[in-house]
Formats: sequence, structure tokens, C-alpha cells
Amino acid sequence: MNVELAGIHRSFRKNKAVVGVDLRLATGVFGLLGPNGAGKTSLLRMLGTVLPPTSGEIRLLNRDPRGVTARREIRRRLGYLPQNLGYYPSFTVVEFIEYFALLKEMPSSAVPKAVATAVERVDLGAKAKAKLRTLSGGMLRRVGIAQAIVNDPDLLLLDEPTAGLDPEQRVQFRALLRSFGESATVIVSTHLVEDVGAACSEVALMSEGKIVFRGTPDELITRGEGSGVGDAPLERGYSAVLSAARS
Amino acid sequence: MDDDKLIAALAAGDDTALRELFTRHAPWLAGRLRAVLPPPDVEDVLQETFLAVWKGASTYRPRGTPQAWMWVIARNQAALLLRRRGPATARLEETPHPGLDPAEAALVRADITAALDGPEGEVLRLMYVEDRSLAEVAALLGVPAGTVKSRAHRARSMLRAALGGTR
Amino acid sequence: MTYPIESGQPPTPHGSAGDVNLARVWTGVAAEVWRRHPGRIERTAARLLRSPALARALLTTPSLLLPWLISTVVVFSVGALVSLGPGQPLVWLVAPAVAAVGIAFAYGPAIDPAWELSSSCALSSRMVLLTRAVAVFALNAALGLLASAASGAATTLTFGWLLPMTAVCTLALAVAVAFRSAVVGAGAGVAAWVIVVLAGQAASGQVTASVTNAHAYLPYLAVASCCAAIVIYAIRPERGLQ
Repeated sequence: MNVELAGIHRSFRKNKAVVGVDLRLATGVFGLLGPNGAGKTSLLRMLGTVLPPTSGEIRLLNRDPRGVTARREIRRRLGYLPQNLGYYPSFTVVEFIEYFALLKEMPSSAVPKAVATAVERVDLGAKAKAKLRTLSGGMLRRVGIAQAIVNDPDLLLLDEPTAGLDPEQRVQFRALLRSFGESATVIVSTHLVEDVGAACSEVALMSEGKIVFRGTPDELITRGEGSGVGDAPLERGYSAVLSAARS
Repeated sequence: MDDDKLIAALAAGDDTALRELFTRHAPWLAGRLRAVLPPPDVEDVLQETFLAVWKGASTYRPRGTPQAWMWVIARNQAALLLRRRGPATARLEETPHPGLDPAEAALVRADITAALDGPEGEVLRLMYVEDRSLAEVAALLGVPAGTVKSRAHRARSMLRAALGGTR
Repeated sequence: MTYPIESGQPPTPHGSAGDVNLARVWTGVAAEVWRRHPGRIERTAARLLRSPALARALLTTPSLLLPWLISTVVVFSVGALVSLGPGQPLVWLVAPAVAAVGIAFAYGPAIDPAWELSSSCALSSRMVLLTRAVAVFALNAALGLLASAASGAATTLTFGWLLPMTAVCTLALAVAVAFRSAVVGAGAGVAAWVIVVLAGQAASGQVTASVTNAHAYLPYLAVASCCAAIVIYAIRPERGLQ
């Protein structure tokens, strides 16, 4: 198991962002759905070791992230794309990815090839030496994805990764997810239901800090049959589960 | 953009020009190298070739064709690789010239085969083996005389490049 | 050049040659062509710090970049040339303020747009903080000492501002980290120094009292220690983002 969460809570003063989440994940692509404020980002931040839980047990890559050495080892094998990623405008694409490859303590000799591979995988080869300030929003998001995958992580966390990507790029991105999911645990947090359906073998739906559904995309579709709002089957399942959770 | 302009861009440090050159020329270079080398070696030689193209772009002079220039670089890289490995790794049945390094010979044979392949080789065969005139060759191939001349010129350059490096 | 990546593997350009993996070849070429070659200073820093990552993080400190360095040299030069009186160049006055601003802009969520991502990386944020703060402080101290020596200042004025500078820098950093704002931190450091100088002058009648009064050394040390503790507490891993 790469991810083991037991009774995870996270509060910010009086705001309960995550309430009693249990999760055990092995390799594969796992989708995290939910409306804004559902707790997805807070959960991902805890998985990314950026935020500690207020209570509960967490183990990542068979290690307890509370220990300094264990946390460092987890972070070396972790890839994380935050929802809001700032960039250094004067850096080029390659410089930015290389910087974070170094911060992840990749061996220096392995960095150039890893960076080149990551750049090509997100189809930014033609912009490799362009300054980040010259790139569009979608390209910047792809730079963010590239830095997350540069160290070939065992645990890949992506928060709203497809923001700004055009439909063709989203198709390519889903293929990338599937390929990583063959050997790593990939968790994709998004409010775009169709992204989850196409790439994920399992999904969870969060509402008000809790996981209110967990199953396959087909099971989510089943929940929406005969009820729910939405144009697509997954959307109907999504809205049906959310309505049931709120009532 | 034609190859000469791409190489000029390369010399100015434009890595996207190298990308375009790679897309255009890596497949045929790989095919030609594959005649004498196994796939992993072809990959190594190709990588060294394009790095040499990148570093040497400022020294390129458009006397022959860019393809010939790149092939010469690839040949030399392949010969270096084979010499490092030793003569036992070259796949040969016979040596075309006495005293010629077997690795070199394999590459020369690949050169000649490639030069005589395709439209350039057809022109060479008609003009120099069947001894036909320029007008006859143009009529037979259904192309203008100028096209025949330039194909013949390219074929001669490729053969020169193929044979020019031998001892 | 478009790359089909349905397989999720490194892409293959058009016209691939059978069993030769052209995508892998291109990746090898690109790795060398795109490789960044660290300069001599970065290579030396990597050897001294025993970490290429820390060296890179150090060399990208905003207040160690060339434009900032040039500004710092200019300010110290002015301080060396302008005097309040004989043997009293203004270096002692400007050094703590300049250093405080530099330290506030050395590190932290206020100046790092990718702070959340940096916090998830293996290289310890505390190590980056320590390295950058020490480097900025040392550079400012060295420039200040050079300016003092060049201007022929008295010994107490040459060295006396080092301790106040330490206190003011730690205060600036503590405020910057606590309020997640480099500007607020820099402002706090400069304001505190101005207040101390004016208070010293008011109490003793001497404008240089803030650096020449030995009775002030212990309070400076106390402030520096408290602020350092605040910084260490503020960036502890458990705090996270809110």
C-alpha cells in the first residue's frame, strides 16, 4: 500500500476541512471529485506532506511522515502539483523543472535526462528554453505537471492538473496518467468529472470534508440512473451522490 | 525552412532547429546505420551524431548537401564505435579493398548502396552504366533536364562522401 | 513536431526506423543540449555545502542576484563617502538597514511563488533558510566592513554595527516569516533600526550611540535570540499552510 490514511481529520480554527477520512491505495489512478471547499486540496496537501493532520494516522510509501528522515525519503519519491503553483518568471521551462528535480534531491547526473524526458512527455519540447513569463496558462500547467513527474515518483498527487489544457492536451494527459498508474499511485483531484471517468480506475467523492462515495466510475454512473442532474452519466451520478450526502 | 537555413539557426543556438533536423533526418540515418549496426548501437551513434551536428553547426559550409554532411558525421561516429568495440563486431563477408579496416568497409558498402538507391541511383545507372545522354535520361524518367543534372550531382556527392573517407 | 503519447511513453517522431527507438535518441540529445552548466560559484558552493540542490537554492536567493548586489554596493559606497563628522562615515547607519531588507527578501512564502511546492520537496526548508540568511548576512557584513575600512572610520564604528545588524536582521526575518510578507519584514527591520538610532541619540546626545554604547550589546543579543527562535518556530514542519 502506498497510501494508508486512518481517521484523518484536519481543522483550521473552527473550519473542519477534512473529517474522518480513511483511505488505502495501491498502484493505479485514483480520482478525487468534489465541489469547491469539499476538502480535496487539504487532503492532497496532507498527502504531499505540506500539511500535517490534526488527528489520525497517515502512512505514505510505507513510512510515517512525522519522522524527519522518513519524510525526506517520502518526498524524494513524491510528485506534487499544487492547485495554485507560482512560477519564477525569469526561469526557462528546463531551468524550472531542473530546479525542482534538484530540490527533490535527485542525483545530479540523472537530472538532465530526467528533465528532457519530462519535457517531452508533456509535449513542451519546442518551448524548452522559453522563459516562463512568455508561456500561456495551459503551458504553465504542463510545466507544473512536468516537475511533478521528473523524479518518476511512486506517489503522484495532482490538484486540478487539467486547468487551462485544451481537449487534445487533456486526452494526452489522461494517457500519461494511465502510464504512471501502472507502477505508481496517482491521485488526481479535480472538479471535472469527465477527466476522472476517462483515466481513473477508482474514484472518491468528497463533500464537506467527508468521503461520501468510493467505487469505480461505472458504480458512480449507476448511482445516477433515474435521478441526478447532468448531461453525462458520470455527472448524473456525481450530482445524485452529492444530493444524497447533503440531505 | 530548408536544411541550410536550419543549420544556420542551429549555429545561432536555436535548439528547435535541431529538433526539426532530427525529425527530418534521424529516420533515414537510422535506416542506413541499421544495415551495419544493431539497434542499441544505432541509437548511440545517432545520439552522438546529432550532438556533433549541434556543436559543429558553425563550421558547416554549404558545399555539398546537408544530408551528406550529416552522413559523414554519422559514419565517423559509427566507425569510432566499431573501432572501440573491435573488428569482431562488424558484420562482413568480405573486404572490398585490401588493407581496408573491416568496420570502415561495412560503412562504405552502406554508403554506396544508399547512393545508388532511389532516384539519384537511377540517374547514375542510366548515365554512366547505360551511357545515355542527358536528354534521353530526362525523357525516360519523365523529368526536366535540370532535375536530371541535380540528381546526378547529388549522386556524385554522395558517392564522393562514401568513398572519400577510405584509405 | 507532434508526438502521439497514447502509450504514455516518451514520444516517437514521424517516420521512426523500425526497431530503433528514435524517441530515446532524441531524449539523450535534448538532455545534453538543454543541460544547464553551473558556473564556478555554484560548483564551489555545491562542494562546500555538499549539496548541489542547496547551492542552486542559494544562488537563486533574490537578495543575492546581481541587480540587488549592485544596489547594495552602491548604498554602501554612498555610506562610505558621506560622513556626519570626522571619522564618522555613514556605513554604521546604512549597514543594518540594508542587511535587514536583504534578509527579509532572502526566503519564505512571501518571496517564493512556488512556496507550497518547495515545502513538499526533500531539501529541508530550514536548511535553505539557514544557508540563505547566513549568506546574505555575511555578504552584507563583508561589504560593510570593506566600506568602513576604506572610509577610515574609527574602530568602534567599523565593527560596532555588526551586533545591531544581527538583531535587526533577525527581527526583519521573524516579521517577514510571521506575516508572510517580505515588505512588512523589511519595513519592520528598518523602522526598528531608525527608532534605536534616534532613541540612542536622544538618550546620550551622540548620534552614533546605537553602535558605540556597550550597554546596548546585551539587549541586541537578546532580541537576536528571541527573533531567531520565532523564525525557527514559524517555519516548523507542523505549521504547514492555512
